[in-house]
Amino acid sequence: MGAVILSLLFPLLAIALRIAGDGDLARRLKSRDQSAMGEMYDRYGRLAFSLIVRIVRNEGIAEDLVQETFLRVWNRSASFDEEKGALAPWVLAVARNRAIDYVRSLEARQTRNSMELDKLERPGVCAVVDDAFLQVDRVRLLKTAFDKLPPNQRMVLELAYFEGMSQPEMAERMKQPLGTVKTWVRTALRSLREEIGEAVPA
Amino acid sequence: MNCDDLADVFELYALGVLEAEERGEIEAHLGRGCAACTPRLRRAAALNAAILAVVPDTAPPRGLRRRVVSLVGSGRSAWGWTFASGSVAAALLIALLWFSVRDRELESQLARERANLTRVQQAFAFLNEPETKQVIFGKGEPRGNVFVNPRTGVLLIASNLPPLPVGKTYELWVIPKGGAPKPAGLFQSDREGTAIYIQSGALDLAATGAVAVTVEPDAGSAQPTTTPIIVAPVAGF
Ligand SMILES: [Zn+2]
Repeated sequence: MGAVILSLLFPLLAIALRIAGDGDLARRLKSRDQSAMGEMYDRYGRLAFSLIVRIVRNEGIAEDLVQETFLRVWNRSASFDEEKGALAPWVLAVARNRAIDYVRSLEARQTRNSMELDKLERPGVCAVVDDAFLQVDRVRLLKTAFDKLPPNQRMVLELAYFEGMSQPEMAERMKQPLGTVKTWVRTALRSLREEIGEAVPA
Repeated sequence: MNCDDLADVFELYALGVLEAEERGEIEAHLGRGCAACTPRLRRAAALNAAILAVVPDTAPPRGLRRRVVSLVGSGRSAWGWTFASGSVAAALLIALLWFSVRDRELESQLARERANLTRVQQAFAFLNEPETKQVIFGKGEPRGNVFVNPRTGVLLIASNLPPLPVGKTYELWVIPKGGAPKPAGLFQSDREGTAIYIQSGALDLAATGAVAVTVEPDAGSAQPTTTPIIVAPVAGF
């Protein structure tokens, strides 16, 4: 599992950086301008596809899920506030949640979180981030910090971000006490927050 | 919990992986408009996005852009994405079995079609197994095919299933020769009474007398409580 984190690559950041002008794109999405869908795909399609492949590990399925992701964003764009946020975090959250929902349904795991994921996909929760948050140097710092985390701390973040596990589920998977897992999660998140904390204006 | 304790798990909250109790506490707290926590939630969403963005790069296939755009195009074709992800045969099978959802919201349709496609692909894989044997049942209704495989289990493809009353489900049974039926999973049909269901696992063909389906309460039953609507004798394998 740690090796996966260690193999994190940079190329997507270049895509993530192209988020200037999202405000205009969001306005066109809201006005149901079909060309905005193509433009949104040009900006975030590769990123969404990469993230979904990372989670479902099947490119064919990922193609379907990318379509669902973009359609979902399109259908919900009316609630997006371009004054407050960028599209990227929202698209990423929707893509992740679609992919995790799919993996869960495949594993016949409880889909208890589906409703919850749906709610958390509100752009108000996901997109309240300034365009500057994915600056390449900041994310390089983040990756470095990630790689420096002890293996157990990397593992719990992997399970939360890419497998959608709750802390009790992680404890079961890793055969560790819940309290230990919670400590790993909090410690890991604190380390990462320190690395990119200043990149995100409050 | 105080602000610091709550904010320590905002990332998990935004990811939707927090347990109900902590989640409720955070929502109540944010609902009161805490000035200190609102920017912290914003930071948590930013950190989440940054972590999600740093995954290995995988190039999507060329045609994907066209399919995404055509989802909202005026001349969109419901077939575009159906054919996109599976073999033509799989798509045709879906069309025959499932394609009755044109009038529904496209988004939920997409999700359902994908689930169906997955099931159809699993069914194809099952059918392609050399050891798979076919049992035809039902001259009247319902009718269909049961396929059995000693390594991979039971595949049921049925049509004309009777509509389920509210709170009921179909339950599959594997009935050993001279033994009591064993529960083999619950499934639903689509609106047209069609179902594809796979019960995975090893199956002792020589010891199996029949595969059956009954209507049971939602949670399923340990033993059949109604007369079977399908009985497919498994013989001669
Ligand atoms: Zn607070």
